[in-house]
Amino acid sequence: MLTPRTGSRPAILPFVAATALALSACSAGTSATGSSAGGAKTLVVDTSFDLKTADPGREFEPTGQIVDKALYETLLTFAGSDVTKPVAGLASSYTESADGKTLTLHLRTGAKFSDGSAVTADDVVFSLNRVIALKGNPSFLLDGVTVTKTDASTITLVSKQANPALPFILPNPALGIVNSKVLQAHGGAASASDSAETYLNTTSAGSGPYVLTSFNTNTQVVLTKNPDYNGPETPAYSKIVIRNVQAPTQKLNVQRGDSQIALDLSSDQVKGIGGGLQVLSGASSDVIFLLLNQNSAVSGATSNANFVKAVREGIDYKSLLSLAGSGSVQPAGVIPSSFLGALPASQATSYDLAGAKAALAASGVTNPSVTLGYASDLTVDGLSLQLLAERVQAQLKEVGITVTLAPAPTTTELDNYRNGKEQLGLWYWGPDYPDPSDYLAFLPGNLVGLRAGWKAGADSQLTAAGDEAATTIGDSAREHLYQQIQTRMNQVGPFIPLIQPSRNTVAAASVTGIAYNPVWTIDVAALGSK
Amino acid sequence: MSRRWVPSSGAGGRLRPSARGHHPLARFLARRAATAVLLALGVTLVTFALTNLVPGDPAAANLGQRAIGDPAIVAQFRHQYGLDKPLPAQYLTYLGNLLHGDLGESQQSHQPVLDDLDAVVPATLELAGAAIVPSLLIGVAFGVIAALRRNRFTDQVLRLFSLLGVSVPTFWLALLAYYLFFYRLGWAPGSGRISPDLTAPRHITGLYTVDAALTGQWPVFWSAVTHLILPALVLTAYTVGLLTRFTRSAVLEVLDQDFVRAARAKGLPSRTVLFQYVLRAASVPIITVAGLAFGNLLSGTVLVESIFAWPGLGAYAYRSATTLDLPAVMGVGLVVGLVYVTVNLIVDVLYGVIDPRVRAQ
Amino acid sequence: MNQTTDDTLDTAATTARPVSRLLARLPRVWRSPLAAVGALLVLGWLIVVIAAPLLAPHDPLAQDLPPLAPPGAGHWFGTDELGRDVFSRVLYGARVSIPLALLLVVLSLLIGGTLGACAGFFGRWVDEIVMRIADLVFAFPTVILAMVVVAALGASLQNAVLAVLIVSWPSYARVTRGLVLGIRNREFVLSGRLLGFSAFRSLRVDVLPNLLGPILVLATLDIGTAMLLLSGLSFLGLGAKPPTPEWGAMVADGTQQFDSWWIGVFPGLAILTVVLAFNFLGDALRDALDPRTARSIGDGRAHAGHVEGERAA
Repeated sequence: MLTPRTGSRPAILPFVAATALALSACSAGTSATGSSAGGAKTLVVDTSFDLKTADPGREFEPTGQIVDKALYETLLTFAGSDVTKPVAGLASSYTESADGKTLTLHLRTGAKFSDGSAVTADDVVFSLNRVIALKGNPSFLLDGVTVTKTDASTITLVSKQANPALPFILPNPALGIVNSKVLQAHGGAASASDSAETYLNTTSAGSGPYVLTSFNTNTQVVLTKNPDYNGPETPAYSKIVIRNVQAPTQKLNVQRGDSQIALDLSSDQVKGIGGGLQVLSGASSDVIFLLLNQNSAVSGATSNANFVKAVREGIDYKSLLSLAGSGSVQPAGVIPSSFLGALPASQATSYDLAGAKAALAASGVTNPSVTLGYASDLTVDGLSLQLLAERVQAQLKEVGITVTLAPAPTTTELDNYRNGKEQLGLWYWGPDYPDPSDYLAFLPGNLVGLRAGWKAGADSQLTAAGDEAATTIGDSAREHLYQQIQTRMNQVGPFIPLIQPSRNTVAAASVTGIAYNPVWTIDVAALGSK
Repeated sequence: MSRRWVPSSGAGGRLRPSARGHHPLARFLARRAATAVLLALGVTLVTFALTNLVPGDPAAANLGQRAIGDPAIVAQFRHQYGLDKPLPAQYLTYLGNLLHGDLGESQQSHQPVLDDLDAVVPATLELAGAAIVPSLLIGVAFGVIAALRRNRFTDQVLRLFSLLGVSVPTFWLALLAYYLFFYRLGWAPGSGRISPDLTAPRHITGLYTVDAALTGQWPVFWSAVTHLILPALVLTAYTVGLLTRFTRSAVLEVLDQDFVRAARAKGLPSRTVLFQYVLRAASVPIITVAGLAFGNLLSGTVLVESIFAWPGLGAYAYRSATTLDLPAVMGVGLVVGLVYVTVNLIVDVLYGVIDPRVRAQ
Repeated sequence: MNQTTDDTLDTAATTARPVSRLLARLPRVWRSPLAAVGALLVLGWLIVVIAAPLLAPHDPLAQDLPPLAPPGAGHWFGTDELGRDVFSRVLYGARVSIPLALLLVVLSLLIGGTLGACAGFFGRWVDEIVMRIADLVFAFPTVILAMVVVAALGASLQNAVLAVLIVSWPSYARVTRGLVLGIRNREFVLSGRLLGFSAFRSLRVDVLPNLLGPILVLATLDIGTAMLLLSGLSFLGLGAKPPTPEWGAMVADGTQQFDSWWIGVFPGLAILTVVLAFNFLGDALRDALDPRTARSIGDGRAHAGHVEGERAA
């Protein structure tokens, strides 16, 4: 055997440790405040990194969104947590055409990049075309959209089909406007031959309130105030350090004052956090759901409609909510409660053990035994899928269904999920943009529907409703349509929405202006200091 | 009776007089270099084969939930990382690039793997170095004391502690240490290599302590040192246990030998006997295990690194393997293989330097 | 010191029944307090392995207790975040971890020992091949190998055992090779060959019995290592499948809940006591062997074998 890499000498620890640690006690004290004197304030944010790049045209990960929100400005944006109404960004106003296919934006005058040059309509066209041409993670945001410069201060976006979601898509930091001249000088182009990523990972080229000082996808990202920024936000911190720290250590760090904000603590971890820290909890917009494969070749049990009903009614949702902690809610449909088109809470499925058992008996499935596949190392807003899976397994056992857990590391299980090979799957959907049209992916024959073996044409009523909802303009009409779709899905579909976990942000008492936003988690430029 | 079975000289012919008397060291090194290259090749081949056996698609691991549904984006990704070529071609391309010093680009960090390694290897090196130095000093000292006081109370106590040392799970100890000394007592600083409000020193060696000292940034130096203490202590705990045990048995073995008794009989003072006779003879096995312990430290710190958020090789290896970042995995495999070979080489050379019997062959 | 002047190399080697010689030494061994403690602990844990269902107050998988309750009446080690009794899970965990560690050691021993014995006995190209493969495995980063095996085959304890097996057999091979090199040139072995024994018969009748003692000691010393490696892999999420109570996985759970220290501390203590017990036992057994073979096993196990195996030749 190889020599094990474990062990201790408890006896020696007191002697050596005491001396060594006593020496370090002084420095531990001074670094605890995390900010330097003389008006130059540093903010330390701890989060568990999901970060690949700082290039807005390529990034589409949660941590990347936090970073690029501070470095780049978008045409439209959201105010604080409110994602129901897009507000002015680099564009001071916009108009939508009656058929929903054309969006005209008027640029704000006087906006400047971090190198002092003005933000022009050409920069906007370049940036958006670049996102489309790079064919990276965020390109789908502008699928079917053509960007043109109408005049020096107007941009027109024309979509192939009615695109009512577009004003809600534009605030995404991946659509941040970059300095086209600087980028082109460093290998950038609005085509697949672009090679500016290396440059953008060291220096930012945006008009946002911060500039990039250092960037490491493993350890930390450092942002400093942009002296040339003349936008609406008033950043209070001159230096922001975003560190990659795992959740349990985040808790220790923020409690000891080593960091000022911790983003990924679970409800269990924030219970009993005191010491003058503020805890902001609210339901996240991530929906964790169960899928039952409708492909009879994968499982004869899960493809049976009565079996699905048995599972749907056999889950004790309240018990799952107590597992996830206060602040979490049970979504009534796949659209999260904070979005337009969400079903009211009164329509959420209730736990009905007797009904579940009856449905199981009616299904005629002789050996109700299924495998539950999920990613063993995935946590959604601090809630471990593993814990949920174990709880679900125990609950379904009461109904009479034997569930065998089959976890695998994310990379392996993703394969099974995306190829529709799981019998029972436990996954989550994080909204790509805060609009109900994102959830059309759950319909038969669409992206997520296929993963549950729900092929196109499986339910013509739903397909027709989906097509209509995608092209309808007007909030109330859309809301009505999406609610109808979800009601039908709850009756005949293979998806069981389980829970929206609570999102907890823990911050030091001195930090103000904290607001959770489902698109970029937190806007560090909006934070203030007492 | 098989002619094949003849009592051979064993161990590669050490007892046969050397036919080539000139430049034995050069030949030795050349032979070892050749072995190293073959080993490195073997490691890359095995890593490549194994990572491609895994039923996971790197595209699936790296592209978002929407992007994966678009065939054009997936094709673009696969083309960018050369995944659309047949496997043997991919391997050969990798080898070709390797000869130019190009280890490919990490799919996770979008940076050259060499740059990534340049950042993480010194971090683990610093940690391993900070652990091996006190381990050697304390472990050897304790082992010698235990051997000299054989079977007496001191010996029993030291043996108990060293056994405890090699028995405790590192991940558990790291957890306890972090919780107790950072959280509860506040004696140790938090996670990472330096405090967040300080900037890392200019990259000369990659070792924050050395770089900060070389550039005269004393607050940074101090911060780096204090951040090293706790994780290094946790790693030291095991290594000290190991070294104590090994030193004790090595010294005991030497103490039994005739030349030691002869030295004592000659009337030499105990200190001379100890340092010039006993330790000299025992140093060979001690160096062997020290070298291998150091090699282990370099390649096996993932548990400690994850708890202390130490951006070292272990954490990098874990992230690369779980995200199927193939170029990064190959890079890590190469580094660890090289570490193993280098450590073995140094140990063997030291062996030759200290023990004249080996040199005579 | 007195023993060693009497025990010359030849006396040790020419004893007809080396295994019973080991046993005859045992009474002296038990006089060492460490050995006695080790044996008692091992015995204690083995009883737990067998009698866990009788000893555990709760079902280790039942989630009906108040979650995150500190140690107290009714739940001596507290409860975890799903409301399961930590004490019962620790007891049941013994049934998972200890038999697997033993299995791992036995398999490594069989595979590594056989390969090493062949390498040492037949020499030449057999030796070269086995040792080069061993070198390759040694050079391989364990974490990566384990993760790749697990990802390829699925996370489970069996696959974790397989992964650890792949990285552990070389140590046994090295040590066995060293021991065999030391034995095969002795007079009794040579005389056997001269009398007409085939290579295999010589191996079986003369060499193997002399290996058993040291190998047994090596294995005992190694159970602890096996246990630590397995729990380390489970800690990383690559071993036990939930909700199986496995100590390493339980410590990993504990890292998610720093404040509820009991979730991680008790399973870790369990690992510590088991590993310690086997190490005590192994040490005592090693002291009972004659010094020469004891040296061949060494304290650093595999790593001693690298040097010792060659010096023994």
